[in-house]
Amino acid sequence: MHQVRVLVAFAVLYALAGCAPIQPWVKPYEREHLADPIMSLNRNPISSDYIEHVFGTREGAHGATGSAGGGCGCN
Amino acid sequence: MKLRIAGLSALCIALPLLAAVDTNSPAPDFTLQAQSGKPVELTQFKGQVVMLNFWASWCGPCRQEMPLLDSIYKKYSKLGFTMIGVNVEPDSKAANDWLKQTPVTFPILYDTDSKVSKLYGVSGMPSTVIVDRKGTVRMIHRGYKPGDEEEYLSSIRTLMRE
Repeated sequence: MHQVRVLVAFAVLYALAGCAPIQPWVKPYEREHLADPIMSLNRNPISSDYIEHVFGTREGAHGATGSAGGGCGCN
Repeated sequence: MKLRIAGLSALCIALPLLAAVDTNSPAPDFTLQAQSGKPVELTQFKGQVVMLNFWASWCGPCRQEMPLLDSIYKKYSKLGFTMIGVNVEPDSKAANDWLKQTPVTFPILYDTDSKVSKLYGVSGMPSTVIVDRKGTVRMIHRGYKPGDEEEYLSSIRTLMRE
C-alpha cells in the first residue's frame, strides 16, 4: 500500500511538472527573428491560398490548411 | 489530500498568469534610458495620464500605429498627457534607423534587457497600457488594427477628465 502511495505521489509530481512554465518560451517581445519575412513558409500568401484551394478540391488527402474550401476549384 | 493536490495544480497553472499587470492595479515603476540618453522614471509622470506603448521596428502593426500615436501625443501633450514608447529590442540600432525615417516627438525608452516587458507581462505586440493620473493601470490593449486608435482616444479623453 505504501509503495502504491509513493508511486502515485511520483506520478502526481511528474504531472505537476508539466504545469510549470515552459522554458525557454519565446515571448511576444522576443519575436524579432520569427517576425522576419524570411521565416514565413511562403512569400506569396494570396497566390498560394488559391493553389491550396485547388488542391483541396481535387485531392481528397489535401486541405484544412487554412484556405477556403468548397466550390469546384476552377477559379 | 485530493483538495490539496487540486489546489496545488491550480496554483501551478495560475502562477505564470499572476505575473502580468492587471487593470485597476498600480502601474509598476521602472527606470529606462531614453533616446536623449537621460534615464526616465515612470513616477515622474504622476499626475498625468500616461500611455505606454511597447513596440519594435520588426513589428508591422507597431510601425503602422506610430504616426497615429504621435498625432495623439501632439494633440494632448499640452493637457497633461504623456506618451512613452518602450522599444523592446535588445539591439536598438534597427529602431533608431527606423525612427530616422519616421520621427516621433514623444519620448522613446529602450528596454534592451526586456526588464519592463517582463514586468508588464507584455503578451502581444504592440501592447498599449494607459495609466491614469493616480498611477493606476486603466487600460491594456494588445495588438493593433486600424481603428484601434479610437479606443485609445476615448480612454485618454475619459481619464483626462478625471
